[in-house]
Amino acid sequence: MMKEKLSTVAKTFTPSPIQQLSLLAQRCNAINLAEGFPDFPAPHHIKAAGISAINSDFNQYRHVQGICDRLAEILKDTHGLEVDPLTDIAICCGQTEAFAAATFSIIDPGDEVILFEPAFETYGGCISLAGGVPVYVALDPPYWTLDAKKLLNSFTNRTKALVLNSPHNPTGKVFTRDELEVIAGACRMNDCLAVTDEVYEYVTYDGIKHVSLASLAGMQERTIITSSLSKTFSVTGWRIGWAIAPALIASTIKNIHIRLTDSAPAPFQEAALTALTCQPPYFESLRQDYESKRDFLVKLLVGVGFRIRSKPQGSFFLFAELPENCLLSDVECVKKLIEEAGVVAVPGCGFFPSISCPSEDSHTVAGNQFNYQNRFIRFAFCKSDATLSSAALKLGEFMKAVGPLG
Amino acid sequence: MSSLAIKHGAINLGQGFPNFDGPDFVKQAAIQAINEGKNQYARGYGIPDFNAAIAERFKKDTGLVIDPEKEVTVTSGCTEAIAATMLGLINPGDEVILFAPFYDSYEATLSMAGADIKCITLRPPDFAVPLDELRSKISKKTRAILINTPHNPTGKMFTRDELNEIASLCIENDVLVFTDEVYDKLAFEMEHISMASLPGMFERTVTMNSLGKTFSLTGWKIGWAIAPPHLIWGVKQAHAFLTFATSTPMQWAATTALRAPDSYYEELKGDYLAKKQILEQGLKDVGFTVFPSSGTYFIVVDHTPFGLKNDIEFCEYLIKEVGVVAIPTSVFYLDPEEGKNLVRFTFCKDEGTLRSAVERMKEKLKRK
Repeated sequence: MMKEKLSTVAKTFTPSPIQQLSLLAQRCNAINLAEGFPDFPAPHHIKAAGISAINSDFNQYRHVQGICDRLAEILKDTHGLEVDPLTDIAICCGQTEAFAAATFSIIDPGDEVILFEPAFETYGGCISLAGGVPVYVALDPPYWTLDAKKLLNSFTNRTKALVLNSPHNPTGKVFTRDELEVIAGACRMNDCLAVTDEVYEYVTYDGIKHVSLASLAGMQERTIITSSLSKTFSVTGWRIGWAIAPALIASTIKNIHIRLTDSAPAPFQEAALTALTCQPPYFESLRQDYESKRDFLVKLLVGVGFRIRSKPQGSFFLFAELPENCLLSDVECVKKLIEEAGVVAVPGCGFFPSISCPSEDSHTVAGNQFNYQNRFIRFAFCKSDATLSSAALKLGEFMKAVGPLG
Repeated sequence: MSSLAIKHGAINLGQGFPNFDGPDFVKQAAIQAINEGKNQYARGYGIPDFNAAIAERFKKDTGLVIDPEKEVTVTSGCTEAIAATMLGLINPGDEVILFAPFYDSYEATLSMAGADIKCITLRPPDFAVPLDELRSKISKKTRAILINTPHNPTGKMFTRDELNEIASLCIENDVLVFTDEVYDKLAFEMEHISMASLPGMFERTVTMNSLGKTFSLTGWKIGWAIAPPHLIWGVKQAHAFLTFATSTPMQWAATTALRAPDSYYEELKGDYLAKKQILEQGLKDVGFTVFPSSGTYFIVVDHTPFGLKNDIEFCEYLIKEVGVVAIPTSVFYLDPEEGKNLVRFTFCKDEGTLRSAVERMKEKLKRK
């Protein structure tokens, strides 16, 4: 009887096998290379700003306009975008809420939204909650390249928007300017909106620069940019994010945000002012730290037997491929790594919403019968050097005992 | 209203948040959490110790024993609890009953969920539930009814008789109840009653609350929903896509806050009661028709003795000519006409501010 009380959409969301693996990892005390947040401290001066705000009584509902002013400056300097801080920016509880408010602003029941697969599962869930229909366009492994024809064929007269996450979770891909041109061309031609998730905008490697889709011709007028403090300043638990869009859309997003949460945590809005005035050396050192962690992890995983044809160009995730002769699925491999190596990562199937993750009960199929969607594992390297070294030690021991994977 | 207020240097008794700050012991707990590195994603539905503290507090308040792991979801304020409840449990076309006047996010999130809203108006002087109208509007087609007690903006508290009547109608028609109880610790004239504690009601009720009003930290955005597992599931799912997780250091501090001794709550009530008396008496002396407010930090009054056409005109006049801000209540109704005679004042301000506001009104506000 009570099950009927759930909304239709809520009923479609099933428990994820990833959660089950998390529990297993906890029981085994495994080293966590799964979760996408740092295990090292947030920068001292940012924490101090948060503390100072609490002490200075910035604890009631507020909107800190200074954040908008600063973001407008940053967008101008970094992407050449002219944004009006008074009308074009909504401060939200993290990029998650910015995306949710943006979605509810533009999606009517039945509207289609194009997403690239593999994809962070929250986008599709949020779109479904708003009554929208996620339409997944597969990026082609092993380099996760964009197939222009596949993209163009996915548009229908119901397509309202396209979601672009770059730098990309889980693959670490940074969409090239050519790919962005293809996406922009498709959006312009079909007169659809774009919603971007740029939370890893400052985490790019090998001299690659993040280009914002909104900076391409004809795109600013149809793009909602979402981002946050979380990944740039290692404060994923502070919930300060934003949506930037043309005034009419931004104003709608603000109105919806007010009805969803009313405001973002006040003292951390104040601290955001400090964060957003960080100078280039901060970002340089962030990049360098993460780049060296990336290189360490790549070497480590290749040593264990993983194939890494596509080294991450951005984000702090690495999408490692199981060796060809490995008979395990991604879920089975992750389970094995937890139980026998004491290291946990995320099975890649969770990022392919158009297939479902095999449950614990499903039987092993011969390796080459698995589609590629079951052949990748996501490792996070937003971890301290100590954690990464421990992981290296454990995987080294695992190798000695069991041999390389495959 | 806010920018007009600033322009005229008006005393703000409109905004529903304090001009004094929260208690030190809670602020220090947040600072300690930041220093201890608790700055990353919390578990989506709440940090375990906070969920436990919420369950303990709920048991103290209602006598109900709940499972903190299966029956609690932490959200960014009660506003998000409401949004997640509506989006997780309401289907497009579902009938939902709402009492006007109401906090504006109720109607907005119900619209986002595609609900068919049926409104019942509470009327002065005592804003009692019109039971005949309720009986005529509730049916087996009703999915849910939303109750805010103590009530913003009127200060009304739903009585045991009213709740019993609503409960029996809900059981008879298999209707869910969503309650917003954020002002439960500001109950002055009667005991606060949680619908979930009535016989047969826990299994069909989502009880929502928050830290902000009780601890004068309205900007921290810490709230929660309590419901049986089959209902919490929907709330949890929607919440995951709305904000994913709630501010971590603040959750740690909230854990400390909810374990505050009874003396904290007694002092809170005592302080607010003193403020209420200043404002209530002051508004009466000025010449408003003042309606009894049993709870919250709001008082609703009839402004018509002063000869202005409606609540918005009155509020503008009050700012420009008198230098005090109140909120026009017509914004809290589906049909603004129903609220045009009423405005809301708040007493969540320090006593000096309240007295100054009363003085200004005595001086400059004249009955027609």
